[in-house]
Amino acid sequence: MFKNYFKIAWRTLLKDKTNTSLNVIGLSVAFAVAILLGMAALFQLSYDGFHKNRESIYKIVKTQQTPKGPEAVTSQPAPLSPSLATEVPGIKRITRYLQDGMLAIQAEKEMDMDIIWVDKDFFSMFSFPITNGDGNTSLSDLSSVVLTKKSATNLFGSTDVIGKTFSLLVNGIEQPFTVSAIADDILPESNLDFEIAARFESHQDYSENKEAWDSQYHDVYVELEEGVTASSFEKSSESFIDLHYKEGIDMLKRDGASADKNGRFINLKLVPLNDVHFTNLKNGFVEISRSLPYLILGIAFLILFIACVNYINMSIAKSAKRLKEIGMRKTLGAQKNELFFQFWSESLLVFLVSISIGVLLSVVFLNDFKTMFNTQVSSEMLLQPTVLILFVGVIMLITLLVGGYPALLMSRLGTIQSLKGKLQSTGSNKVRDMLMVFQFGIAILLITGTLILWSQIEYMRNKDLGYDKEQVVSFPLNGKRNSNDVVALLRDELKGDPNILSISGADSNLGLGKDGSRSSSKIGFEYKGRVVQTNFLVVDHEYVQTLGIKMVSGRNFQSPSDSLGVVINETMAKELAEQDPLTAQLEISDGVYFPVLGVIKDYNFNDLDRAIEPITFYMSKEWGLTYAYAKVSPTNMANSFTVLESAWKKLEPNAEFLGSFLDENIDRTFRREKTTAKMIASGSIIAIILSCMGLFAMSLLIVSQRTKEIGIRKVVGASVTSITYILTKDFLKLVLVAFLIASPVAWWVMSEWLQNYAYRIDLSVWFFVGAGAIAVLIALLTIGSRTVRAARANPVKSLRTE
Amino acid sequence: MLLQLNNIFKWVQQGGQRVFLLKDINLEVEDGEFISIMGPSGSGKSTLLNVIGMLDTFDEGEYDFLNESVHTLKEKYRSNLYKEYIGFVFQSYHLLDELTVEENLEMPLLYKKVKGSERKALVADMLDRFNIVGKKDLFPTQLSGGQQQLVGVARALIGKPKLILADEPTGNLNSQQSEEIMELFQNLNKEDGVTIIQVTHSEKNAEYGSRILNLLDGRKI
Repeated sequence: MFKNYFKIAWRTLLKDKTNTSLNVIGLSVAFAVAILLGMAALFQLSYDGFHKNRESIYKIVKTQQTPKGPEAVTSQPAPLSPSLATEVPGIKRITRYLQDGMLAIQAEKEMDMDIIWVDKDFFSMFSFPITNGDGNTSLSDLSSVVLTKKSATNLFGSTDVIGKTFSLLVNGIEQPFTVSAIADDILPESNLDFEIAARFESHQDYSENKEAWDSQYHDVYVELEEGVTASSFEKSSESFIDLHYKEGIDMLKRDGASADKNGRFINLKLVPLNDVHFTNLKNGFVEISRSLPYLILGIAFLILFIACVNYINMSIAKSAKRLKEIGMRKTLGAQKNELFFQFWSESLLVFLVSISIGVLLSVVFLNDFKTMFNTQVSSEMLLQPTVLILFVGVIMLITLLVGGYPALLMSRLGTIQSLKGKLQSTGSNKVRDMLMVFQFGIAILLITGTLILWSQIEYMRNKDLGYDKEQVVSFPLNGKRNSNDVVALLRDELKGDPNILSISGADSNLGLGKDGSRSSSKIGFEYKGRVVQTNFLVVDHEYVQTLGIKMVSGRNFQSPSDSLGVVINETMAKELAEQDPLTAQLEISDGVYFPVLGVIKDYNFNDLDRAIEPITFYMSKEWGLTYAYAKVSPTNMANSFTVLESAWKKLEPNAEFLGSFLDENIDRTFRREKTTAKMIASGSIIAIILSCMGLFAMSLLIVSQRTKEIGIRKVVGASVTSITYILTKDFLKLVLVAFLIASPVAWWVMSEWLQNYAYRIDLSVWFFVGAGAIAVLIALLTIGSRTVRAARANPVKSLRTE
Repeated sequence: MLLQLNNIFKWVQQGGQRVFLLKDINLEVEDGEFISIMGPSGSGKSTLLNVIGMLDTFDEGEYDFLNESVHTLKEKYRSNLYKEYIGFVFQSYHLLDELTVEENLEMPLLYKKVKGSERKALVADMLDRFNIVGKKDLFPTQLSGGQQQLVGVARALIGKPKLILADEPTGNLNSQQSEEIMELFQNLNKEDGVTIIQVTHSEKNAEYGSRILNLLDGRKI
């Protein structure tokens, strides 16, 4: 019986090659895309999943009620973690976690490396596999460090380096450290990333901040004892907070902050390690959102859905051609379930072939996919038992539903009707129409999403940020020399070059540079009886003109010796609420007042998802700069870039030059948006292609089913146009209904998404009309050729076939 | 007695009125009969044949087939019954285009769950008997109409039915082919004792049978 089913399935499929190949291609592509997207989503969801203790590890977030609303920060003061460990019960292990870049020196090698400064239990809490040495004792010594295989190879040329020493450049002085263990390379799905792990107490700022509760500069991770829940810990930490943050709470109260619903001003919240990757603190409280991976999964399912709809529709439409067979089999004694099984096994065959091709395609395109979408998925991920079971389960379900539904319809047909070739088509047509509306709805939704996403990205790229991003190059000062000296030397070196307009430096980059690191500092100080908070940027005196920021009033720094004053932006001036901000004196460090020299026009130093905040420029020899900025003339920019590089190489021969133009840096900050946009765009393109394949196949079938009608209409005098219109109208109606349903959904989703951006485009009606028009146009093109051909055919011919 | 129809009525509802397709049909068929059903188009010939073949239902009356009351049987048992005892021959042959002659012959046996070796033997017998061994690997579209109907009859016979129902078996054939098929039916009836009920328009074909049943507007006349 099986053999017979298989034989007839094979021959039926071969007989209708167009239809079969459309189905197989569509399903294979859909499966391949779904597998890739599914892997990307699973990768996202698997973040930090490899830590054995992940269920009991939490990141500490401090939330506080400020007069301007709630605020949440992950930065904590150095004394917090030892005090918590001794004063609040329930902690098994705790570690501070400070990320930094440091110059590592080994023999002749100088390398800028990512270093984390952690407490000694770090490697017992987190399960980074240790290949050499003992993880639990690896950081027992203040001068011991853990390297990864990769960093050890980079630094020493081998991984067999336990006990060897190298130096880190701390405050301009080389300090020796001893390698105590080698960890496996960090998995891509790890949030905690390092090349070197060292003891927190050895960090250069530790001694001065050891007891400073007001200097918050690192993260804290805590592992709770068994049976202790996060909420019970948060509860029991309240008296601890009241004790240690008393001053802060008093100030918040004084400045008019309103307490939260529990009557508290400062809280310590525990964010589970599993959620850390999905945490958003922007709105002042802990928000955990896995919407991106779920969005990706959603797109994967939508694409699968579209391909499946095609299959269902085509199978139902095709069943008309098989009525005779169904009837005949019934008169020969076939039972309903036997017929169901026959048609279902036919679908199974198509699905098995498509899935195999799909898996093959996904393997072939895995690497392209990874580079295109910046994801680190690997094929090993697919081989995890849970993923495999999920995968097989989903496929079984799809095959059962998608193959089963048409099979069920066909097996239910009456014997006599099917023998006569009559099909009561009203019922199944409704299902078909609904499915097609759904399909086109999805396509329109995705097109709208793509259009809006791209416009927002373009808007952000082209927005005037208030400074010159096209002509300015920034690069990290990752060499051995003192940063202020280097900037001065660079300035001297390039003074004669007419294409280098000015040089400056600051302790933070704009956008995201090639070194991939970002940082920001904030300070708060008392001003006329209340706390004023501001971003804080250490600059060099030519910063304002190098970046082309406009002055509003007062003056810029004139020379390196102007370090007794500060320059603030307009928002900061508003914050100070002075008639003339130039009269203000800011108490930035205890007892020292800094006069405001000038006010600059507001510029977007943060990403565009945030509004402009107060910022204060400050010059200081001790704080040091981390990035140099160079303004070049608009002519011959490529050449100027090389000039900068060689000047840097001359000063710091061992350091890498990681310069890039600021507009590139800004672009890099949209990487997430771009990836999302790319995914949605490719998703919508595939969705459209698949929908069109379905539409094409449907139009083929419908035209062939209506051949007689077309012939008769022509014989009685219908024109080609009117016939084309009749044939096209039904499909267009479906697309229009889809448009009416999808547009409000798209509007709602996209306006929600745009809420994430402080600077955003307006949702004009043209996005939706445009998407609808694209859908209609594509649908028209798809069915047009077939319908016109059918309408032009000789009626005698079409009638003769009856 | 092979089958018996008592007061069979079949109707459809049309605009609030019953339109009768079959009206008070009484019929007894003995083993070994060869009956021709005649009548103008729309007189209910095919409907009657389909009711006898259990492919169609009726609204009133009783139908006993080999002492089983068909009208009380569930569909599954009904299909077991006709699969076992009835073979169908159609005007337009209704062979499956995707299968070869041999495979078409094999199909009823598959539904009867006949074992592989036995199936092969039965198919080979049938091919031999109808002299179509040389055509066993051809597809129906490669055969002439007469040959296709020959395969159709062979397929109906392969399950060794007691009754063959033929709905205008020669309707699509020329006179020479018709004659061949009708002679085949006659031989089957006489030599193998197969009961045959055929629907036909042609007086000439009707004469091959032992009894003629005339229908008009769903009534026996």
